[in-house]
Amino acid sequence: MKISKKAAYKGIIYLILTLGLIIVVLPMIYMLSTALKPNGALYEYPPRFFPKIKEITLENFQYILRQKKFGNNFINSIFVSTVTVAIAAVVAAAMAFCIARFRFLGRKFLFTFIMLTMIIPGTTLIVPQYELAVKLKVINKLSGLIPFYVAWVIPYSTFMIKGFVENIPRELDEATYIDGGSVFTVFFQIILPLTKPGIASVSIFNFLTAWEEFPWANTVINDDLKRTLPIAISGFFGQHQFTQWGYVFALSVLSLIPILVVFISCQRFFIEGLTAGSVKG
Amino acid sequence: MKTKKSQNIQIGFLLLPGILIFGFFTIYPIVKLFITSFFKWDFGSMFDQEFIGFANYKEVLTDSYFHLAFSNSIVYTLITVPAQMILGLLIAMLINNINKFSISYRVAYYLPVITSWVIASLVFKYVFNTEGLLNYFLTKVIHLTSGNIHWLDSRWGGMSVAMLLGTWKGIGWNMVVFLAALQTVPRDLYESAALDGAGSIAKFFYVTIPSIKGTILFALVMLTIGGFNVFTSIKMITDGNPGHKTESVLTWMYYKAFSTGEFGYSAALSFIIAVVLGILAIVQFRMMDHSKLD
Amino acid sequence: MRKSSKLFAILSTAMFVTALGTAPCYAEEVTINFWHHYSEQSAENETLNNVLIPEFEKENPDIKVNAVSHEWSDLHEKILISAKSETLPDVARLDSAWVPEFEKMGILVPLNQEMDDYQEVADGLLESAMSTAQIGQDTYGLALNTNTKILFYNVKAFEDAGLLAPTTMDEFIEDCKKLAGENENGQQIWGYDEPALAGWNLCPFIWSMGGSITNEDQTKATGYLNSTETVNAIQTLADLYKEGAITGWNSGDIPMTDGFGTGRYAMIMDGPWKISEMEGSYPDFEYATAPMPEGEGGSHSVLGGEDISMFNTANKDAAWKFMKFMTGEFAQEEMAKCSQIPVNKATLESDTVKNADFAPFIEAIKSAESRPTVSCWSEIDSELATAVSAVMNEEKSAQDAMDELAEKVDDLLAEE
Repeated sequence: MKISKKAAYKGIIYLILTLGLIIVVLPMIYMLSTALKPNGALYEYPPRFFPKIKEITLENFQYILRQKKFGNNFINSIFVSTVTVAIAAVVAAAMAFCIARFRFLGRKFLFTFIMLTMIIPGTTLIVPQYELAVKLKVINKLSGLIPFYVAWVIPYSTFMIKGFVENIPRELDEATYIDGGSVFTVFFQIILPLTKPGIASVSIFNFLTAWEEFPWANTVINDDLKRTLPIAISGFFGQHQFTQWGYVFALSVLSLIPILVVFISCQRFFIEGLTAGSVKG
Repeated sequence: MKTKKSQNIQIGFLLLPGILIFGFFTIYPIVKLFITSFFKWDFGSMFDQEFIGFANYKEVLTDSYFHLAFSNSIVYTLITVPAQMILGLLIAMLINNINKFSISYRVAYYLPVITSWVIASLVFKYVFNTEGLLNYFLTKVIHLTSGNIHWLDSRWGGMSVAMLLGTWKGIGWNMVVFLAALQTVPRDLYESAALDGAGSIAKFFYVTIPSIKGTILFALVMLTIGGFNVFTSIKMITDGNPGHKTESVLTWMYYKAFSTGEFGYSAALSFIIAVVLGILAIVQFRMMDHSKLD
Repeated sequence: MRKSSKLFAILSTAMFVTALGTAPCYAEEVTINFWHHYSEQSAENETLNNVLIPEFEKENPDIKVNAVSHEWSDLHEKILISAKSETLPDVARLDSAWVPEFEKMGILVPLNQEMDDYQEVADGLLESAMSTAQIGQDTYGLALNTNTKILFYNVKAFEDAGLLAPTTMDEFIEDCKKLAGENENGQQIWGYDEPALAGWNLCPFIWSMGGSITNEDQTKATGYLNSTETVNAIQTLADLYKEGAITGWNSGDIPMTDGFGTGRYAMIMDGPWKISEMEGSYPDFEYATAPMPEGEGGSHSVLGGEDISMFNTANKDAAWKFMKFMTGEFAQEEMAKCSQIPVNKATLESDTVKNADFAPFIEAIKSAESRPTVSCWSEIDSELATAVSAVMNEEKSAQDAMDELAEKVDDLLAEE
């Protein structure tokens, strides 16, 4: 009796979770199914959630893959995101290490400032940052994206990695110093290896940020071939022209693949990372 | 003594890249933003900027379009933040109670978070089109409404779609954060509560909530910032239409800067938003500190 | 002695060779950036990238053209931003309504002053079209193409309703109401679609119903923008919208081409590019065209068209060559094949044009009017859209909205 009650309880939990799940993934499935419909069927009546089996076509994907520029957009996005992640990881880990372990002049000030800038929405700085990009002559260049993205993700990354550093016992540092190690030795041989899960989780987050960033890239980049994916996708989208939803969603589906691969292969780190950061507060 | 000195040099070396990047690309623009906000600066007067004191601030604060955008952002935040947190916490608690498939559920619920804003916005725009699937479903399948609802064509219609999107996209993040927190709540707290005769609801309010208070505040701070940060979804879904009624503070700022060229106005607006969020965050961080002391 | 002369010979040969070697350096490859708003998926864009630019680069091996497509409103934004940051392209295809604004910012090159063979080139192009680039005594661009909007209607819908194409404004209004309704699937049908509420969209109605935006001198809006006739035009559209007879400018509405091609909008008004668009997306759809219906003010469509202009940061020689190429016979004829109405006089006489399907547009251009040629037009345009959108949503009466708007526009015009 008691067991069956418990089983029923579990059953209800699975039921609710599954129902919720269906609602949550519904838009994604609709996107995929639209990408698989022939373009002419987009204003069909009655509208269908799934395409008819015999209607299913890869023509939208083929169109996207035929256009060379989307390949460029893809590579641009990969390049910008990867470089951003790499620079941000090293730079933020070094800052986090110093702030967590040493008392230096302006330490508190620096940390407060980092925390404060986490609060300011990045987009509010778009005007002065644009002027800066102009002065640096990086308008319409991928190098006009990367340093800004790095600066953007540094506060959050530093804050999260600092939590990880603080979890590493100080005794390990001290033992290294006694053995004649320097600050560098501690950083490279103790801190970096031990904060790897934290850095990994922050990096996934940073990758996502750079991968999907829209307003800045939209402002800085002009050329078709230099666009990143979000700009390329929105480029299909003339408000009152005709929008080829099939193409839009085919490109969207393709652009989701790398991020899915990154996320699924690293999701263990990701969840650990959020755990550590959020529980520490 | 010598080691101390070389230690300092090494610390400096580690800090330098971060401070340089951060200082150059974040702090400098903030300072520049502040200065710009006191100048008349638009396309017409591009080459002779004139100091005009608080005139930009006055213009922003008395601008009815700004009031509208600001209230839209407030409503957006007030609705999406609790909605995401409650749903995220609920799902986290359910997943916390199961063993099988828990990872699969986690990954699936997280999918919207990793879907980019541009893509998610386009999907929602497509679904909520006046001629879209949702209206067909409502009118012709379940006969809930007699005619198509103009989701995207009014202030609250457009805002509702944006808010729904924001909530949909945010649940996964909240779920992961709360799930992590729930796993740190000691089991014996629940057991002793059960011994005292507490039911599930009492356990939730007297054990769960107090134990994850820190995480709740953390999420609150992050989501409030996120709420005021709403930009891409509104830009893609309504672009402020009809007649600037669905602008958020940031889309309005962007419009003023890059469509009308009033950089001074935008700078003042940005600074006002930054100050408002700064104050909010300090209040919330204070609350966080207090909760830690408890 | 001999040795030294030998040395001299070697040296001079070396110098000569070096000089030869460097000679091509003068003709070093330059790249010019060309921004335009031919839609990315359009036949015009294909022609530009696959026919015109290769041909130009063949003729001018030392010049490369980097063409960038922007959406219409993005292009305007991008040029403003780039002007501020001194990252302007060399050449751009500009909506002629923007020329005064950019001229005021001081970023356009006065061609008649700086180009020696300007007059010769200008003489080959239509005077009426060239006038859109003229401000005061100077000319800031070459006319590239011209256009206007005419009425497109769904032949089957009109036959089924027993109607003929409307010739007067009253007939148009009646037809909108009659054609609206539901189709066999119970989906709503609208008589007419207007995809936005800007000047390009509203002016034909305002003018044809006897109203206007400003006075002749373009110095005052009060008394014109809020005249009985203008207010009446706006009110008429608002009434039709309220009745469900017209729609189109809402974010959730079906896009124009799709709505027309699937029979949901019985009428639309658009330019010659619609012909190739319909051919591409809805090749089997049967439609016909008619002039803008005649009202109290006559039948006046809105004059569109683009100029090709050079920015003052441009590589002027290369840019000028490209501009001459784009307005030359070859390019104009190729573009005419995808429904761009040429402005080159010789091209207008060609068989391509004589057989083209844009003949009705050429007729409509004769009575079309241009939007105010003032530098603050973009601002007026956006204020107009906001004001009329408030009328459509019944937040303001047409009279109130236009009164307020006229006052704002007066201020803007005073700053000219």
